[in-house]
Amino acid sequence: MIPFVAVVSLRNQDSRTFRLWIPLFLIWLLLLPLALLLSPFIFLACLFCRVNPFRGVGVMWQIFNALTDTGVEVEHRSAGLSFHIL
Amino acid sequence: MSEHRRQILQMLSEGKISADEAERLIAAVEEPVGTKSTDPALESAGKCRPKYLRVVVDSEDDGGHEGPTKVNVRVPMQLLRAGVKLAGLLPAQALRRANHAMQEQGVPIDLTQLKPENLEELVEQLNDLTVDVDQKDATTKVKVRVFCE
Repeated sequence: MIPFVAVVSLRNQDSRTFRLWIPLFLIWLLLLPLALLLSPFIFLACLFCRVNPFRGVGVMWQIFNALTDTGVEVEHRSAGLSFHIL
Repeated sequence: MSEHRRQILQMLSEGKISADEAERLIAAVEEPVGTKSTDPALESAGKCRPKYLRVVVDSEDDGGHEGPTKVNVRVPMQLLRAGVKLAGLLPAQALRRANHAMQEQGVPIDLTQLKPENLEELVEQLNDLTVDVDQKDATTKVKVRVFCE
């Protein structure tokens, strides 16, 4: 499943937490026409690098899908940061 | 007392094996035959496949004013699989250059040997991976754990 939301959480020294929900699905919708426009150039670049463009797109799609559930958390006394892709 | 057990105890009394080894051997001979699976496929099917690679770092600053720092990274195994597939797509020239750069940094990994057909084996080996690093000096104590869950 493609990632839909990214959650970025920031905590400052006063223990105030700012949580930002980034709707990735909207970004994908906006990027889709751009990807379509760039597809001939991507195709040519793949041919130039001797990479099967269909396999390349397939692997990139798998990486894109596999990003779901990725998480990074850093906690310190003075600040904290967490990033999760849902 | 069984013959095997007697032999193990005799080896222990003769000093051929240590007490720990004797204990392990006795446990092995006393284990019922049916409990051990001989088929690796069945064994791997029974084992729950981990979904994430975790890296946990705990750093404690005893003397300084920095305080403890905790880092927790969770990477889906699916992402590792896709990453290895991506490495398989790279042209040989690019892989050679990447190998050279990694060797310069002291990482002797040959990316040209990373093939999609070896992928599942590689990920299976990661299942049993646990790396624990403990570092202590005068003021800081760092603990790093890499494992699959």
